[in-house]
Amino acid sequence: MNNRLFYILTALGLIVFPFAIHPIGGYPGLATDILILGIGAIGFNLLLGYAGLLSYGQAMFYGVGSYVALLTVTRFFPQVHSIWLALLLAVVFATVMAFVIGAVTVRLYGIYFALLTLAFAQMFFFIVFQWRSLTRGDDGLQGITAPPLSLGPWSLDLTATLPDLNLGPFGNLHDVHYWYPFAAIITFGVLIFVRVLVRSQYGEILAAIRENEERSTFVGFDPKLYKIAAFTIAGMLTGLSGALKGLSQTATAVDSLDIDTSGNFVIFTVVGGVKTLFGPLLGTGIVWYLQNVIGGKTDAWRLIEGLIFVAVIVLLPAGLLGIRQPARLPYDVDRGRGRRSYPSQLPDVVGDEPILVVKSLSRYFGKFAAVSDVNFRVRTGELRAVIGPNGAGKTTFFNVLAGLLGASEGAIYFKGHDITRMPGPQRVALGVAKAFQTANVYPDETVFQNVRLAALARVQGMFRPEFLRASRRLDEVAELAHDALEMLDLASMSEVRVGDLSHGDKKRLDIAVALATQPEILLLDEPVAGMSIEEVQKTDRLMRGLAKRMTVLIIEHDMDLIMGLSDSITVLHQGKVLAEGTPAEIRANRLVQEVYLGGHLQGELPDVKEHKT
Amino acid sequence: MLRREGSIDAIISQLPGTLLDGLIRGLAYVGIALGLTIVFGMLRLVNFAHGAFYIIGAYVGLVVTEHIGLWAGLIAAPIAVALFAIALDYGLLRRFYHRDPTSQILITFGVAIVVQEALRLMFTGTTRSYNVPGWLHGSLNLGFTQYPTYRVVFAIGIVFLVLAVWFFIERTNYGLIVRAGIRDRIMVQLLGGNVRQASTVIFALGGAIAGLVGAAASPIYSVDPNTGFNFLVPSFVVIVIGGLGSFWGAVLGGLLVGELQSLTTLISAPASDIVIYVAMAIVLLVRPSGLLGESDVIRG
Repeated sequence: MNNRLFYILTALGLIVFPFAIHPIGGYPGLATDILILGIGAIGFNLLLGYAGLLSYGQAMFYGVGSYVALLTVTRFFPQVHSIWLALLLAVVFATVMAFVIGAVTVRLYGIYFALLTLAFAQMFFFIVFQWRSLTRGDDGLQGITAPPLSLGPWSLDLTATLPDLNLGPFGNLHDVHYWYPFAAIITFGVLIFVRVLVRSQYGEILAAIRENEERSTFVGFDPKLYKIAAFTIAGMLTGLSGALKGLSQTATAVDSLDIDTSGNFVIFTVVGGVKTLFGPLLGTGIVWYLQNVIGGKTDAWRLIEGLIFVAVIVLLPAGLLGIRQPARLPYDVDRGRGRRSYPSQLPDVVGDEPILVVKSLSRYFGKFAAVSDVNFRVRTGELRAVIGPNGAGKTTFFNVLAGLLGASEGAIYFKGHDITRMPGPQRVALGVAKAFQTANVYPDETVFQNVRLAALARVQGMFRPEFLRASRRLDEVAELAHDALEMLDLASMSEVRVGDLSHGDKKRLDIAVALATQPEILLLDEPVAGMSIEEVQKTDRLMRGLAKRMTVLIIEHDMDLIMGLSDSITVLHQGKVLAEGTPAEIRANRLVQEVYLGGHLQGELPDVKEHKT
Repeated sequence: MLRREGSIDAIISQLPGTLLDGLIRGLAYVGIALGLTIVFGMLRLVNFAHGAFYIIGAYVGLVVTEHIGLWAGLIAAPIAVALFAIALDYGLLRRFYHRDPTSQILITFGVAIVVQEALRLMFTGTTRSYNVPGWLHGSLNLGFTQYPTYRVVFAIGIVFLVLAVWFFIERTNYGLIVRAGIRDRIMVQLLGGNVRQASTVIFALGGAIAGLVGAAASPIYSVDPNTGFNFLVPSFVVIVIGGLGSFWGAVLGGLLVGELQSLTTLISAPASDIVIYVAMAIVLLVRPSGLLGESDVIRG
């Protein structure tokens, strides 16, 4: 849908909404409530739908928003008596609160995250309940005169009604308080904001993190910061929702912070459709209608609500509006093709200075040393193979280098920086990239988008609060992506969905993703494992090309490939370095032969020569 | 619980009774959390409907006790809940076993709402309780304090329940299939173990335990349709503190949470509602795998 059509239809929908529900027993006050609560649900949907975070504590932002707004009017700044100030303070308070709570909660997942947010909400409930001198405890805040809406010299009493105009079956314009247009304008703004947000660069990366957090971390995004931002924005919108509710009702009570309120936002959003723009509003509408219209007729409304909730989850897991739709705008695939403003950074020679130095590195799992006292040194531009029998600690070693696992002892220096304790995304930014043993990519995206995300991380860094602009116009991102695809011979498959690729193509794509981060050192973990002979030959050729542009570390079991490809080889055995040398030296090494072949079958290795280590 | 703030002396004089109250409450939590933790441990299912098991057991116990007697109630409740759990498992939850935890939370949360509201329509929202047979009335002299007989019997019963469940899981052949199924489901199936059936049995067992505890605890804590949720949330607190999926973690967590709540009432009654959340938040932030949990479950 293009922008103009979206604006027109949304505005029209908001205008007719309070009258459209009249024939089924709705009324304008109900419409106002639905929009106001819906704003909170839209915020919650950012968390559950787009960030994949099930918060069970949104009530804390909603409740605190309502209290701060009303207290601003009655206690903090009664002399100002401004609705704008009340909304502003409530929103700022909720936003700061959400930022702080988000910073400590987003490191947890699933049920742990849900329970920790619940715990915080319960604490705020307790504080509000007990702080009687301010909040009047059980009684709540009541009978407050909400300030008029002031705009420069004009002032409008929001509780006043619109002029008398009979609309037949759709009620009377006179039934509408000015609160409705006010809430509708704010809702309109919120919808536009969230629509822009989820299409922005930020929204694109947030979705990528949700789809594959580990890959996102190791192309160089910091998932925590993206999630904290989502939590903060959600808290802000939920706080706004609470403030509007408190002001429009001129009252609030402590149950605005309780667990049922948090649960309501979950129900609203899930029923209407997670990851859709209007879903949360629709869900809020349905549930609120049940409660307030059907609830007046039968006690069973809550049972109906529960049954609808269960039915939606089972039959329409994406919610009522969740018909599968393209989540993002298509990219201009031809953009940036064939241009090359990013020259390859490395000279086409093997340098003498070390790019990577590892000192006495160990990694323990319990008492088991998977990597034990490894000293390791790689020169710039070298292609180094790391070999060893299964269980020698090769993958663990790579994971410690890339930052997937912490080092237990020892130190790692990259380009002279101590990166031993550095988080993964920072290492990627410095120039360390890893391709995974089992292809680790974004299965629901296209080949091009996979590589593009990695290029985006290189160009834009670990976190960039680009909430309003889409990344589609970043030419250098597209260039980097095309470069990486061409180097891995994947350009012809740009538009294929990754889930449909063959095993070998997926593995090459994984390398292309690593490559698009413009690494100076590339860690390849068994790049040809499981590939057919043709694919191996192709990948061999491609790796020779890569090795000219950067330092490459490679784990591989295919000895023919390794012997022909690498400048030098390190042999790991039981977590320790067993031998190191040129392919010829390693081939001739007796210890290596014993480890690999039990020492009995030396003759099986081609060109065995005596060599002293 | 009455709010009796006061001097140190007053607090000390109330200490034995408070500790006992905490123990009883803790044992009730243990009983509920046990089913929650073994279902998570074995099925990797986050079951927000577990409170519904408790409340169904409580109402079945209530009705059967009123018409036949307490013992019949204590037998009928776990059987009814086990049957409900089996139906739920086959009809609905089976397809959510391998979904992400968020979907599991949502569907079981939905089931919990439906059960709660159905019970509200059947029994209205009023708080109910029921009388126990005459010999369980009155109180026992425990040497240092007098304590209601029913609570003492309840405590002993829970201890036996815990031991029985432990025996079933750790010492029977069936328990072996279940434990092996956690480690490697496919391998157990290849070896001829019926993991599917074992999952259902465990789910029903977890429900039955909660149902039994629900029936047995009603004379102490009374029942209304919201009781399920009111016990569910602390039960999650219990197993998070103890370690999600850990058997003895649920026992330790239950006792800790019960005592913590009870002792806090000595200082401030309202604070007893919040103290367990503070404790859980600290555990989640410092040691997310819980006191006795394995760290590999954190990503849930």
